Amino acid sequence: MTRTFKPSETVDFVVVGSGAAGGVMARELSQAGFSVVVLEQGPRLGAADFEHDEFKYQFLSGITNSPVTSPQTFRDDPAQTAKPPPMGNSLVYARIVGGSSTHFTANYWRFHESDFKERSMLGAIPGTGFADWPISYEELEPYYTKVEWEVGVSGLGYASPFDPPRSKPYPMPPLPVKSSGVLMERGARKLGLHPFPAPMAINSQPNRGRPGCAHCGFCIGFGCEVMAKSSTLYTMIPEAERTGRCEIRPHSYVFNVPLDARGRTTGVLYFDADKREQFQKARAVVLSANGAESSKLLLNSANGRFAHGLANSSGLVGKYLMFNQGSGVHAQFAHELNEYKSVQVTRILHDFYEADPKRGFYGGGGIDARMGGQPALWALASGADLPHWGPELKARLEAFPRSMMSTGHCTSLAVETNSVSIDPTLKDAWGIPAMRVTYKDHPDDLAMAQFLQDRAHEIMEAAGAEKVWRSPPRLARGGVHLLGTCRMGDDPAESVVDKYHRTHDVPNLFICDGSSFVTSGRGQPTMTIQALAFRAADHIAQFARRGEI
Amino acid sequence: MTENERNDMSRRSFLTQGTGLFTSLWVAGQWPGIAAAAHHADEAANSPVPLGFTYFNAADAADVEAICAQIVPSGATPGAREAHAIYFMDRTLATYFSASAPAFSTGLTEFQASFRTAQPQVARFAAADPDMQNAYLKTVDHTPFFETTRMLTILGMFTSPKYSGNYQGAGWKLMGFVDQHGFSPPFGHYDAEYQGFVPYETGKAT
Repeated sequence: MTRTFKPSETVDFVVVGSGAAGGVMARELSQAGFSVVVLEQGPRLGAADFEHDEFKYQFLSGITNSPVTSPQTFRDDPAQTAKPPPMGNSLVYARIVGGSSTHFTANYWRFHESDFKERSMLGAIPGTGFADWPISYEELEPYYTKVEWEVGVSGLGYASPFDPPRSKPYPMPPLPVKSSGVLMERGARKLGLHPFPAPMAINSQPNRGRPGCAHCGFCIGFGCEVMAKSSTLYTMIPEAERTGRCEIRPHSYVFNVPLDARGRTTGVLYFDADKREQFQKARAVVLSANGAESSKLLLNSANGRFAHGLANSSGLVGKYLMFNQGSGVHAQFAHELNEYKSVQVTRILHDFYEADPKRGFYGGGGIDARMGGQPALWALASGADLPHWGPELKARLEAFPRSMMSTGHCTSLAVETNSVSIDPTLKDAWGIPAMRVTYKDHPDDLAMAQFLQDRAHEIMEAAGAEKVWRSPPRLARGGVHLLGTCRMGDDPAESVVDKYHRTHDVPNLFICDGSSFVTSGRGQPTMTIQALAFRAADHIAQFARRGEI
Repeated sequence: MTENERNDMSRRSFLTQGTGLFTSLWVAGQWPGIAAAAHHADEAANSPVPLGFTYFNAADAADVEAICAQIVPSGATPGAREAHAIYFMDRTLATYFSASAPAFSTGLTEFQASFRTAQPQVARFAAADPDMQNAYLKTVDHTPFFETTRMLTILGMFTSPKYSGNYQGAGWKLMGFVDQHGFSPPFGHYDAEYQGFVPYETGKAT
């Protein structure tokens, strides 16, 4: 029986959000001896509730934020009036216990040393907020190792000559290679590149009480039916509950963080499952609601002291939104690959990870080999600019088992006008002002995406593809990597949280999720979100013990 | 699928004019309706004889099914007709996508009218010979109505049979997809012959 608390009980910490960061916070703070209530917008589901149903999860908002109840508006120019996008919400995340760690692909790349100090290495980029992080790779390394061992990551350390330093090997060997990985490795090695086994937060063998992967193929967009994917739903959250000091409270939508006369928060206001307002009292509040929702909550919590949003004296809450640009090619081979089986990615390469001024633009990234989608999504989207109906479409569908993708994932520059703000008129199903998204890629982001797509094309041809096809990279109209909107930094005028994730403005309010990022990394952010959460929790616990919150 | 491919879907449209099927795709937030549809879907999946139509009348269903059959033609492997894509469309326009049903009806009416203008000697699209159908669709294959019909045809062929399409897994058979809970390696031809990862001299693989 897990512990429960009454809203009127003052707990040590209330954590808003139960995803990649919130799950880690819950486990670390409760194991450190503190009482914790985690408030999650969505329901709690388990492995038995998930199914192989593309229509439900990819087209009917089965576990993601629904545009019907949680609508957003979008524009690519701050001078425009934002409108609800025809394709549904721009910013998509899983709205269930475990958050987006439940439905993610589970690519778990560490950042490299350069990611934290590129501004110093490369200089300023006009028109952007390109900046160094206030922490280094060395400071984060022990926490990356903690993610690998305590959340559970499969991989092969130092398999890539470009790997950053690591203090321990991976706890599990890489997942079995798929044909896409073999072909990408074949083509890339021919070109003198260095493909290597992809680090994935999926068990390649039984680990910490969870089974190895069943290779069902339904990872991206789906909850794992065998608990092999290292979602916080299956890892951090049960361990937090086992302390007897942590309650996970689903169907709890936090909409305001009020302050007392001293400028400190005393808890959070939320709607319960029956849409009744509740107030959970707490000594300190940690926002881990994701890079979009944490900003929305702060902006909707404006008060007399912070007229433009809570903890927003810098004016940067919601700004510098980054997605990670990307681009891919499709390739068809002579024999069957059967990419619909097993995990998305088994081989990647980081030869183009570092920015190179000789390219003429800023950016860096990685390239992977992947399936690209289960049947319905693949059939809808794999055509690029080829004929999209009739015998040509049918021939392409029949070649599904012989097809794969190679995809580039890269940087997005921090541009101040790219942002999450509050829509002036639209409200959600709870009557709360809705999120407005403003986004237009920096030209360098598109140039980098194009560069990686060209390299991926070469790799597939070198691998012996019968056919390679693609569409040019296009402006992003939305994203699932929600980064940068409450950036960390030492200067309160230039950042929202300090290097320990404490807001510069409110001493007992912390923010830790994708919003803390200063730069975007190269496309796979969740590993770093969790390393930051382990590190933040470590420091927050020390502050609490010393009476410094 | 990459984010850009999602953009492609949007660009090619469905209803990027904002009247939108994609907006109403998300009507799915309304679970009571979904439960009713799922109940029907289970019946349809288990029924050897297709159930009747709810949203379409018989003549409209024939026209739309003729379009579907051009999008994914029949032949040595099943096409949209054999996969009962039309029944998926009927059920979803009556349930999940009901908010878009009026826009779809308008699009269909316009399609039928413009076909009559182009081919006054043929009573309706479904009655035209396949070559004429194919030639006509080439003139309208970037309209929102066509793109929407294409999207629904594909969803009706390749999503779970419990939504009334993909009859007896016909769409999955066409794509060579095996609906199974899990698999064991090797998964395909190339990984079966893989000799193992050879570390780089510069690496320190652990």
